[in-house]
Amino acid sequence: MPLPAKAFQLWLHSVAPTASTADICRISGIKRTTLAQQLVRGKVSESTLVSISRALKRSPLDDLASFDSFAGLAEQPQLPTPAELVSQIATMDLLRAVISRSSPAYGGFGDHGSALTPPLSAAPHATSVRNWVDAIDDGELRHRVSAATGVAPQNYSAQLTANRLAPELAVATSRAAGVGFTGGLVATGLLTEAEAGWTPAAKQAALDALSDGELTALAGERLQSLGRTLRRQEQEHEQTKKIWENLG
Amino acid sequence: MATLEWATLTVCCAALLLRVPDAVKGRNRTVFGILLLATLCSALAVSELYAAIDGVLGGRHVTSLILRYLVFATVLLVGLRITRGLAASREYSLIAGWPGRWALALCCLAVTVTFLLMDTTGAPAGLQTLSGTGEGNTALASYYTAAGRSYPAFVSLILVPPLLAAARSRKPRLVRAGALLVFLGAVFAVLSFPVSLAPASWAGGLRFVNYAAVLGYVSGLAVFWFSGLIANTSGNAKATFSNNGD
Repeated sequence: MPLPAKAFQLWLHSVAPTASTADICRISGIKRTTLAQQLVRGKVSESTLVSISRALKRSPLDDLASFDSFAGLAEQPQLPTPAELVSQIATMDLLRAVISRSSPAYGGFGDHGSALTPPLSAAPHATSVRNWVDAIDDGELRHRVSAATGVAPQNYSAQLTANRLAPELAVATSRAAGVGFTGGLVATGLLTEAEAGWTPAAKQAALDALSDGELTALAGERLQSLGRTLRRQEQEHEQTKKIWENLG
Repeated sequence: MATLEWATLTVCCAALLLRVPDAVKGRNRTVFGILLLATLCSALAVSELYAAIDGVLGGRHVTSLILRYLVFATVLLVGLRITRGLAASREYSLIAGWPGRWALALCCLAVTVTFLLMDTTGAPAGLQTLSGTGEGNTALASYYTAAGRSYPAFVSLILVPPLLAAARSRKPRLVRAGALLVFLGAVFAVLSFPVSLAPASWAGGLRFVNYAAVLGYVSGLAVFWFSGLIANTSGNAKATFSNNGD
Protein backbone atom coordinates (compact mmCIF):
# COMPACT_ATOMS: atom_id res chain seq x y z
CA MET A 1 0.00 0.00 0.00
CA PRO A 2 1.83 3.10 -1.23
CA LEU A 3 1.59 6.55 0.35
CA PRO A 4 -1.82 8.27 0.41
CA ALA A 5 -1.89 11.14 -2.09
CA LYS A 6 -3.39 13.57 0.42
CA ALA A 7 -0.59 13.07 2.94
CA PHE A 8 1.92 13.24 0.09
CA GLN A 9 0.60 16.61 -1.08
CA LEU A 10 0.68 17.96 2.48
CA TRP A 11 4.28 16.83 2.75
CA LEU A 12 5.16 18.32 -0.65
CA HIS A 13 3.61 21.63 0.33
CA SER A 14 5.57 21.72 3.58
CA VAL A 15 8.95 20.93 2.01
CA ALA A 16 8.59 22.93 -1.22
CA PRO A 17 5.80 25.48 -0.74
CA THR A 18 6.68 27.58 -3.78
CA ALA A 19 7.55 24.88 -6.33
CA SER A 20 5.02 23.95 -9.01
CA THR A 21 4.35 20.36 -10.02
CA ALA A 22 6.31 21.01 -13.22
CA ASP A 23 9.33 22.21 -11.20
CA ILE A 24 9.17 19.17 -8.95
CA CYS A 25 9.04 16.82 -11.93
CA ARG A 26 11.91 18.61 -13.67
CA ILE A 27 14.32 18.52 -10.72
CA SER A 28 13.45 14.97 -9.65
CA GLY A 29 13.34 13.43 -13.14
CA ILE A 30 9.84 11.99 -12.66
CA LYS A 31 7.58 12.05 -15.71
CA ARG A 32 4.72 14.52 -15.24
CA THR A 33 2.20 11.94 -16.44
CA THR A 34 3.49 9.41 -13.89
CA LEU A 35 3.09 11.79 -10.97
CA ALA A 36 -0.30 13.02 -12.20
CA GLN A 37 -1.51 9.44 -12.52
CA GLN A 38 -0.33 8.52 -9.03
CA LEU A 39 -2.06 11.60 -7.56
CA VAL A 40 -5.31 10.86 -9.42
CA ARG A 41 -5.29 7.27 -8.19
CA GLY A 42 -4.69 8.51 -4.66
CA LYS A 43 -1.56 6.39 -4.20
CA VAL A 44 1.93 7.81 -4.58
CA SER A 45 4.77 5.32 -4.79
CA GLU A 46 7.57 5.48 -2.25
CA SER A 47 10.16 5.78 -4.99
CA THR A 48 8.49 9.01 -6.16
CA LEU A 49 8.84 10.45 -2.68
CA VAL A 50 12.47 9.34 -2.46
CA SER A 51 13.32 10.88 -5.86
CA ILE A 52 11.77 14.21 -4.86
CA SER A 53 13.41 14.14 -1.45
CA ARG A 54 16.77 13.45 -3.08
CA ALA A 55 16.30 16.24 -5.59
CA LEU A 56 15.50 18.68 -2.76
CA LYS A 57 18.71 17.57 -0.98
CA ARG A 58 16.68 16.31 1.97
CA SER A 59 16.98 12.98 3.78
CA PRO A 60 14.74 10.39 2.06
CA LEU A 61 14.79 8.27 5.22
CA ASP A 62 13.45 11.07 7.42
CA ASP A 63 10.88 12.03 4.81
CA LEU A 64 9.64 8.45 4.51
CA ALA A 65 9.43 8.31 8.31
CA SER A 66 7.12 11.33 8.32
CA PHE A 67 4.36 9.14 6.84
CA ASP A 68 2.15 7.06 9.10
CA SER A 69 2.91 3.72 7.40
CA PHE A 70 6.64 4.27 7.94
CA ALA A 71 6.42 5.83 11.39
CA GLY A 72 9.29 4.81 13.64
CA LEU A 73 11.62 4.35 10.68
CA ALA A 74 14.11 6.96 11.82
CA GLU A 75 13.36 6.98 15.55
CA GLN A 76 15.73 4.30 16.70
CA PRO A 77 18.44 4.05 14.09
CA GLN A 78 19.34 0.42 14.48
CA LEU A 79 22.40 -0.43 12.43
CA PRO A 80 22.32 -3.43 10.07
CA THR A 81 23.68 -6.70 11.40
CA PRO A 82 26.90 -8.11 9.87
CA ALA A 83 24.85 -10.82 8.15
CA GLU A 84 22.64 -8.16 6.54
CA LEU A 85 25.70 -6.23 5.40
CA VAL A 86 27.30 -9.33 3.88
CA SER A 87 24.02 -10.19 2.13
CA GLN A 88 24.30 -6.89 0.25
CA ILE A 89 27.69 -7.82 -1.23
CA ALA A 90 27.37 -8.99 -4.83
CA THR A 91 28.23 -12.62 -5.57
CA MET A 92 31.09 -11.62 -7.87
CA ASP A 93 32.56 -9.39 -5.13
CA LEU A 94 32.45 -12.36 -2.74
CA LEU A 95 34.29 -14.48 -5.30
CA ARG A 96 36.86 -11.70 -5.76
CA ALA A 97 37.36 -11.67 -1.98
CA VAL A 98 37.94 -15.44 -2.06
CA ILE A 99 40.60 -15.02 -4.73
CA SER A 100 42.31 -12.11 -3.02
CA ARG A 101 42.61 -14.24 0.14
CA SER A 102 44.14 -17.11 -1.85
CA SER A 103 47.86 -17.69 -2.23
CA PRO A 104 49.84 -15.43 -4.60
CA ALA A 105 50.14 -18.34 -7.05
CA TYR A 106 46.41 -17.90 -7.79
CA GLY A 107 46.48 -14.13 -8.00
CA GLY A 108 45.76 -13.44 -4.31
CA PHE A 109 47.54 -11.82 -1.42
CA GLY A 110 47.52 -14.73 1.02
CA ASP A 111 47.13 -13.80 4.68
CA HIS A 112 46.99 -10.07 3.91
CA GLY A 113 44.11 -10.63 1.49
CA SER A 114 41.33 -9.37 3.79
CA ALA A 115 42.77 -5.88 3.80
CA LEU A 116 43.43 -5.88 0.07
CA THR A 117 40.07 -7.03 -1.34
CA PRO A 118 38.96 -4.94 -4.33
CA PRO A 119 36.41 -2.18 -3.62
CA LEU A 120 32.85 -3.49 -3.34
CA SER A 121 30.11 -2.41 -5.75
CA ALA A 122 27.16 -0.51 -4.29
CA ALA A 123 23.99 -2.28 -3.16
CA PRO A 124 21.57 -3.50 -4.46
CA HIS A 125 22.87 -6.42 -6.53
CA ALA A 126 21.09 -8.98 -8.73
CA THR A 127 19.81 -11.18 -5.88
CA SER A 128 20.04 -8.71 -3.00
CA VAL A 129 16.41 -9.01 -1.85
CA ARG A 130 16.40 -12.79 -1.46
CA ASN A 131 19.88 -12.77 0.09
CA TRP A 132 18.77 -10.14 2.60
CA VAL A 133 15.68 -12.14 3.65
CA ASP A 134 17.78 -15.32 3.87
CA ALA A 135 20.29 -13.47 6.06
CA ILE A 136 17.68 -12.48 8.67
CA ASP A 137 15.42 -15.55 8.35
CA ASP A 138 15.23 -17.77 11.43
CA GLY A 139 13.08 -20.31 9.58
CA GLU A 140 9.71 -18.85 10.55
CA LEU A 141 10.15 -15.31 9.21
CA ARG A 142 8.08 -15.77 6.04
CA HIS A 143 5.12 -17.10 8.06
CA ARG A 144 5.29 -14.20 10.49
CA VAL A 145 5.43 -11.63 7.69
CA SER A 146 2.52 -13.22 5.89
CA ALA A 147 0.51 -13.38 9.13
CA ALA A 148 1.28 -9.74 9.94
CA THR A 149 0.60 -8.32 6.46
CA GLY A 150 -1.92 -10.74 4.97
CA VAL A 151 0.28 -11.26 1.90
CA ALA A 152 0.16 -14.87 0.70
CA PRO A 153 3.50 -16.73 1.12
CA GLN A 154 3.65 -17.58 -2.60
CA ASN A 155 3.21 -13.91 -3.56
CA TYR A 156 5.97 -13.00 -1.12
CA SER A 157 8.27 -15.65 -2.61
CA ALA A 158 7.45 -14.48 -6.13
CA GLN A 159 8.58 -10.97 -5.21
CA LEU A 160 11.84 -12.31 -3.76
CA THR A 161 12.50 -14.34 -6.92
CA ALA A 162 11.96 -11.24 -9.04
CA ASN A 163 14.39 -9.37 -6.73
CA ARG A 164 11.59 -7.00 -5.72
CA LEU A 165 9.84 -6.26 -2.45
CA ALA A 166 7.23 -3.59 -1.82
CA PRO A 167 8.68 -1.06 0.68
CA GLU A 168 5.98 -1.65 3.31
CA LEU A 169 6.63 -5.41 3.02
CA ALA A 170 10.35 -4.77 3.45
CA VAL A 171 9.63 -2.80 6.63
CA ALA A 172 7.22 -5.50 7.85
CA THR A 173 9.94 -8.09 7.21
CA SER A 174 12.47 -6.08 9.24
CA ARG A 175 9.94 -5.69 12.05
CA ALA A 176 9.14 -9.43 12.08
CA ALA A 177 12.84 -10.27 12.17
CA GLY A 178 13.64 -7.68 14.82
CA VAL A 179 16.36 -5.98 12.78
CA GLY A 180 16.85 -2.36 11.70
CA PHE A 181 14.36 -0.96 9.18
CA THR A 182 16.93 0.17 6.63
CA GLY A 183 18.19 -3.25 5.48
CA GLY A 184 15.18 -4.03 3.32
CA LEU A 185 14.98 -0.54 1.88
CA VAL A 186 18.62 -0.76 0.78
CA ALA A 187 18.22 -4.32 -0.54
CA THR A 188 15.27 -3.26 -2.70
CA GLY A 189 17.20 -0.26 -3.99
CA LEU A 190 14.77 2.32 -2.59
CA LEU A 191 17.52 3.95 -0.51
CA THR A 192 21.25 4.00 -1.06
CA GLU A 193 23.53 2.77 1.70
CA ALA A 194 24.54 6.31 2.57
CA GLU A 195 20.93 7.50 2.73
CA ALA A 196 20.15 4.64 5.09
CA GLY A 197 22.91 5.82 7.41
CA TRP A 198 25.28 2.95 6.73
CA THR A 199 28.92 3.93 7.04
CA PRO A 200 30.87 3.62 3.77
CA ALA A 201 33.21 0.96 5.15
CA ALA A 202 30.52 -1.11 6.94
CA LYS A 203 30.10 -3.73 4.20
CA GLN A 204 33.86 -4.08 3.75
CA ALA A 205 34.36 -4.47 7.50
CA ALA A 206 31.67 -7.16 7.68
CA LEU A 207 33.33 -8.97 4.77
CA ASP A 208 36.78 -8.76 6.36
CA ALA A 209 35.36 -10.13 9.61
CA LEU A 210 34.26 -13.35 7.88
CA SER A 211 36.62 -16.25 8.41
CA ASP A 212 37.94 -18.04 5.33
CA GLY A 213 35.55 -20.92 6.02
CA GLU A 214 32.49 -18.66 6.36
CA LEU A 215 33.40 -16.71 3.24
CA THR A 216 33.98 -19.83 1.17
CA ALA A 217 30.75 -21.49 2.30
CA LEU A 218 28.77 -18.32 1.58
CA ALA A 219 30.35 -17.84 -1.84
CA GLY A 220 29.63 -21.50 -2.58
CA GLU A 221 25.94 -21.10 -1.69
CA ARG A 222 25.68 -18.04 -3.88
CA LEU A 223 27.40 -19.81 -6.78
CA GLN A 224 25.08 -22.78 -6.46
CA SER A 225 21.95 -20.69 -6.59
CA LEU A 226 23.35 -18.67 -9.51
CA GLY A 227 24.09 -21.97 -11.22
CA ARG A 228 20.48 -23.10 -10.72
CA THR A 229 19.18 -19.84 -12.17
CA LEU A 230 21.48 -20.11 -15.18
CA ARG A 231 20.60 -23.78 -15.75
CA ARG A 232 16.90 -22.94 -15.70
CA GLN A 233 17.41 -20.10 -18.17
CA GLU A 234 19.46 -22.37 -20.42
CA GLN A 235 16.69 -24.97 -20.40
CA GLU A 236 14.07 -22.36 -21.23
CA HIS A 237 16.33 -21.12 -24.00
CA GLU A 238 16.73 -24.62 -25.44
CA GLN A 239 12.96 -25.12 -25.38
CA THR A 240 12.40 -21.75 -27.03
CA LYS A 241 14.90 -22.60 -29.75
CA LYS A 242 13.05 -25.85 -30.37
CA ILE A 243 9.79 -23.94 -30.76
CA TRP A 244 11.40 -21.64 -33.31
CA GLU A 245 12.97 -24.55 -35.19
CA ASN A 246 9.61 -26.29 -35.54
CA LEU A 247 7.10 -23.47 -35.66
CA GLY A 248 9.03 -20.29 -36.46
CA MET B 1 -22.41 -12.74 -40.84
CA ALA B 2 -20.15 -13.19 -43.83
CA THR B 3 -17.63 -10.71 -42.39
CA LEU B 4 -16.32 -13.34 -39.96
CA GLU B 5 -15.60 -15.73 -42.84
CA TRP B 6 -13.88 -13.07 -44.93
CA ALA B 7 -11.88 -11.84 -41.92
CA THR B 8 -10.64 -15.39 -41.24
CA LEU B 9 -9.70 -15.83 -44.90
CA THR B 10 -7.84 -12.50 -44.85
CA VAL B 11 -5.88 -13.43 -41.71
CA CYS B 12 -4.97 -16.82 -43.19
CA CYS B 13 -3.85 -15.24 -46.47
CA ALA B 14 -1.77 -12.66 -44.60
CA ALA B 15 -0.07 -15.34 -42.47
CA LEU B 16 0.52 -17.42 -45.62
CA LEU B 17 2.08 -14.51 -47.53
CA LEU B 18 4.35 -13.73 -44.55
CA ARG B 19 5.74 -17.25 -44.76
CA VAL B 20 6.39 -17.26 -48.51
CA PRO B 21 10.03 -16.01 -48.31
CA ASP B 22 10.89 -18.65 -45.68
CA ALA B 23 9.19 -21.39 -47.69
CA VAL B 24 11.17 -20.40 -50.80
CA LYS B 25 14.37 -20.65 -48.76
CA GLY B 26 13.25 -24.11 -47.63
CA ARG B 27 12.86 -23.19 -43.96
CA ASN B 28 10.02 -24.94 -42.10
CA ARG B 29 7.99 -25.79 -45.18
CA THR B 30 5.59 -27.82 -43.04
CA VAL B 31 4.33 -24.67 -41.33
CA PHE B 32 3.83 -23.15 -44.78
CA GLY B 33 1.88 -26.25 -45.75
CA ILE B 34 -0.26 -25.93 -42.64
CA LEU B 35 -1.04 -22.31 -43.46
CA LEU B 36 -1.74 -23.19 -47.12
CA LEU B 37 -4.24 -25.85 -46.01
CA ALA B 38 -5.77 -23.48 -43.45
CA THR B 39 -6.17 -20.83 -46.17
CA LEU B 40 -7.83 -23.36 -48.48
CA CYS B 41 -10.19 -24.40 -45.69
CA SER B 42 -11.17 -20.86 -44.85
CA ALA B 43 -11.64 -20.11 -48.56
CA LEU B 44 -14.06 -23.05 -48.82
CA ALA B 45 -15.85 -21.77 -45.70
CA VAL B 46 -16.84 -18.59 -47.56
CA SER B 47 -20.32 -19.27 -48.99
CA GLU B 48 -19.72 -17.57 -52.36
CA LEU B 49 -16.47 -19.43 -53.04
CA TYR B 50 -17.99 -22.67 -51.79
CA ALA B 51 -20.92 -22.35 -54.18
CA ALA B 52 -18.63 -21.61 -57.10
CA ILE B 53 -16.36 -24.59 -56.43
CA ASP B 54 -19.24 -26.93 -55.68
CA GLY B 55 -20.84 -25.93 -58.95
CA VAL B 56 -17.72 -27.11 -60.78
CA LEU B 57 -17.74 -30.39 -58.82
CA GLY B 58 -21.33 -31.22 -59.78
CA GLY B 59 -23.34 -29.42 -57.12
CA ARG B 60 -23.76 -32.49 -54.86
CA HIS B 61 -21.93 -30.89 -51.90
CA VAL B 62 -18.91 -33.16 -52.29
CA THR B 63 -16.95 -29.95 -51.60
CA SER B 64 -18.24 -30.06 -48.04
CA LEU B 65 -16.79 -33.55 -47.58
CA ILE B 66 -13.49 -32.44 -49.13
CA LEU B 67 -13.43 -29.47 -46.76
CA ARG B 68 -13.78 -31.81 -43.77
CA TYR B 69 -10.87 -33.94 -44.98
CA LEU B 70 -8.75 -30.84 -45.55
CA VAL B 71 -9.51 -29.68 -41.99
CA PHE B 72 -8.47 -33.09 -40.63
CA ALA B 73 -5.18 -32.97 -42.58
CA THR B 74 -4.44 -29.45 -41.32
CA VAL B 75 -5.19 -30.39 -37.74
CA LEU B 76 -3.02 -33.50 -37.96
CA LEU B 77 -0.05 -31.48 -39.26
CA VAL B 78 -0.58 -28.73 -36.66
CA GLY B 79 -0.77 -31.29 -33.85
CA LEU B 80 2.42 -33.06 -34.90
CA ARG B 81 4.32 -29.83 -35.41
CA ILE B 82 3.26 -28.19 -32.14
CA THR B 83 3.91 -31.27 -29.99
CA ARG B 84 7.35 -31.58 -31.54
CA GLY B 85 8.06 -27.87 -31.08
CA LEU B 86 7.01 -27.95 -27.42
CA ALA B 87 9.02 -31.17 -26.87
CA ALA B 88 5.83 -32.88 -25.65
CA SER B 89 6.81 -36.43 -26.58
CA ARG B 90 3.86 -38.09 -24.80
CA GLU B 91 1.37 -35.90 -26.61
CA TYR B 92 3.24 -36.43 -29.89
CA SER B 93 2.90 -40.19 -29.59
CA LEU B 94 -0.79 -39.79 -28.70
CA ILE B 95 -1.37 -38.02 -32.03
CA ALA B 96 1.09 -39.94 -34.21
CA GLY B 97 0.70 -43.33 -32.51
CA TRP B 98 -2.18 -45.79 -32.62
CA PRO B 99 -4.68 -43.72 -30.55
CA GLY B 100 -4.32 -40.84 -33.00
CA ARG B 101 -4.54 -43.12 -36.05
CA TRP B 102 -7.66 -44.83 -34.76
CA ALA B 103 -9.24 -41.47 -33.91
CA LEU B 104 -8.47 -40.16 -37.40
CA ALA B 105 -9.83 -43.30 -39.07
CA LEU B 106 -13.03 -43.28 -36.99
CA CYS B 107 -13.62 -39.58 -37.55
CA CYS B 108 -13.12 -39.96 -41.33
CA LEU B 109 -15.51 -42.91 -41.33
CA ALA B 110 -18.13 -41.00 -39.31
CA VAL B 111 -17.95 -38.01 -41.64
CA THR B 112 -18.20 -40.17 -44.77
CA VAL B 113 -21.09 -42.31 -43.49
CA THR B 114 -23.18 -39.37 -42.24
CA PHE B 115 -22.52 -37.58 -45.54
CA LEU B 116 -23.66 -40.55 -47.62
CA LEU B 117 -26.79 -41.04 -45.48
CA MET B 118 -27.81 -37.41 -45.87
CA ASP B 119 -30.08 -36.10 -48.59
CA THR B 120 -28.02 -33.15 -49.76
CA THR B 121 -29.95 -32.02 -52.79
CA GLY B 122 -30.86 -28.35 -52.66
CA ALA B 123 -29.12 -27.72 -49.35
CA PRO B 124 -27.52 -24.29 -48.84
CA ALA B 125 -23.77 -23.76 -48.99
CA GLY B 126 -21.79 -25.50 -46.28
CA LEU B 127 -24.70 -27.77 -45.32
CA GLN B 128 -25.23 -25.70 -42.21
CA THR B 129 -29.01 -26.03 -42.28
CA LEU B 130 -31.05 -28.69 -43.99
CA SER B 131 -34.38 -27.15 -43.13
CA GLY B 132 -37.56 -28.57 -44.59
CA THR B 133 -36.10 -31.91 -45.57
CA GLY B 134 -37.46 -33.95 -42.71
CA GLU B 135 -36.72 -34.59 -39.05
CA GLY B 136 -34.19 -37.39 -39.64
CA ASN B 137 -32.20 -35.43 -42.14
CA THR B 138 -31.84 -32.45 -39.76
CA ALA B 139 -30.53 -34.75 -37.04
CA LEU B 140 -28.12 -36.33 -39.53
CA ALA B 141 -26.89 -32.87 -40.53
CA SER B 142 -25.99 -32.01 -36.96
CA TYR B 143 -24.26 -35.39 -36.56
CA TYR B 144 -22.35 -34.67 -39.75
CA THR B 145 -21.26 -31.29 -38.35
CA ALA B 146 -20.24 -32.92 -35.06
CA ALA B 147 -18.24 -35.60 -36.88
CA GLY B 148 -16.43 -32.83 -38.74
CA ARG B 149 -15.45 -31.24 -35.40
CA SER B 150 -14.52 -34.49 -33.65
CA TYR B 151 -10.95 -34.94 -34.86
CA PRO B 152 -9.96 -31.25 -34.40
CA ALA B 153 -11.44 -31.44 -30.89
CA PHE B 154 -9.46 -34.63 -30.17
CA VAL B 155 -6.12 -33.14 -31.27
CA SER B 156 -6.81 -29.80 -29.58
CA LEU B 157 -7.65 -31.52 -26.31
CA ILE B 158 -4.22 -33.21 -26.42
CA LEU B 159 -2.54 -29.89 -27.22
CA VAL B 160 -4.14 -27.93 -24.36
CA PRO B 161 -1.83 -29.01 -21.44
CA PRO B 162 1.54 -28.44 -23.18
CA LEU B 163 0.35 -25.13 -24.62
CA LEU B 164 -0.83 -23.95 -21.22
CA ALA B 165 2.52 -24.96 -19.69
CA ALA B 166 4.36 -23.02 -22.42
CA ALA B 167 2.18 -19.95 -21.92
CA ARG B 168 2.87 -19.99 -18.17
CA SER B 169 6.62 -20.61 -18.50
CA ARG B 170 9.41 -18.04 -18.38
CA LYS B 171 10.05 -18.09 -22.09
CA PRO B 172 10.28 -14.79 -24.03
CA ARG B 173 7.04 -12.82 -23.92
CA LEU B 174 6.17 -13.16 -27.60
CA VAL B 175 6.65 -16.93 -27.48
CA ARG B 176 4.28 -17.09 -24.52
CA ALA B 177 1.82 -14.83 -26.35
CA GLY B 178 1.94 -17.19 -29.35
CA ALA B 179 1.38 -20.19 -27.10
CA LEU B 180 -1.54 -18.40 -25.45
CA LEU B 181 -3.17 -17.64 -28.82
CA VAL B 182 -2.81 -21.24 -29.99
CA PHE B 183 -4.11 -22.36 -26.58
CA LEU B 184 -7.23 -20.20 -27.04
CA GLY B 185 -7.66 -21.62 -30.53
CA ALA B 186 -7.40 -25.14 -29.13
CA VAL B 187 -9.95 -24.39 -26.40
CA PHE B 188 -12.41 -23.06 -29.00
CA ALA B 189 -11.76 -26.09 -31.21
CA VAL B 190 -12.58 -28.38 -28.27
CA LEU B 191 -15.71 -26.35 -27.49
CA SER B 192 -16.90 -26.54 -31.11
CA PHE B 193 -17.59 -30.27 -30.70
CA PRO B 194 -20.28 -30.01 -27.98
CA VAL B 195 -21.62 -26.79 -29.49
CA SER B 196 -22.18 -28.51 -32.85
CA LEU B 197 -24.64 -30.90 -31.16
CA ALA B 198 -26.54 -28.02 -29.55
CA PRO B 199 -29.96 -26.92 -30.88
CA ALA B 200 -30.12 -25.06 -34.17
CA SER B 201 -30.76 -21.73 -32.42
CA TRP B 202 -27.10 -21.83 -31.38
CA ALA B 203 -25.89 -21.71 -34.98
CA GLY B 204 -24.38 -18.25 -34.49
CA GLY B 205 -22.41 -19.50 -31.48
CA LEU B 206 -21.13 -22.46 -33.46
CA ARG B 207 -19.88 -20.21 -36.25
CA PHE B 208 -18.18 -17.91 -33.76
CA VAL B 209 -16.46 -20.80 -31.99
CA ASN B 210 -15.27 -22.27 -35.30
CA TYR B 211 -13.72 -19.09 -36.59
CA ALA B 212 -12.25 -18.19 -33.20
CA ALA B 213 -10.48 -21.56 -33.24
CA VAL B 214 -9.02 -20.98 -36.71
CA LEU B 215 -8.02 -17.41 -35.86
CA GLY B 216 -6.35 -18.55 -32.61
CA TYR B 217 -4.28 -21.22 -34.34
CA VAL B 218 -3.25 -19.12 -37.32
CA SER B 219 -2.45 -15.94 -35.37
CA GLY B 220 -0.54 -18.00 -32.77
CA LEU B 221 1.61 -19.52 -35.52
CA ALA B 222 2.20 -16.04 -36.95
CA VAL B 223 3.30 -14.76 -33.51
CA PHE B 224 5.70 -17.74 -33.10
CA TRP B 225 7.17 -16.89 -36.48
CA PHE B 226 7.51 -13.21 -35.59
CA SER B 227 9.11 -13.93 -32.20
CA GLY B 228 11.72 -16.11 -33.89
CA LEU B 229 12.35 -13.40 -36.46
CA ILE B 230 13.10 -10.62 -33.98
CA ALA B 231 15.06 -12.92 -31.65
CA ASN B 232 17.47 -13.87 -34.43
CA THR B 233 18.53 -10.26 -34.80
CA SER B 234 18.75 -9.25 -31.14
CA GLY B 235 19.98 -12.53 -29.65
CA ASN B 236 18.13 -12.07 -26.37
CA ALA B 237 16.92 -14.77 -23.96
CA LYS B 238 20.43 -16.10 -23.45
CA ALA B 239 21.52 -17.35 -20.05
CA THR B 240 24.70 -15.48 -19.27
CA PHE B 241 26.38 -14.01 -16.22
CA SER B 242 25.86 -10.50 -17.55
CA ASN B 243 22.12 -11.12 -17.85
CA ASN B 244 22.05 -12.01 -14.18
CA GLY B 245 23.49 -8.81 -12.83
CA ASP B 246 26.74 -8.47 -10.92
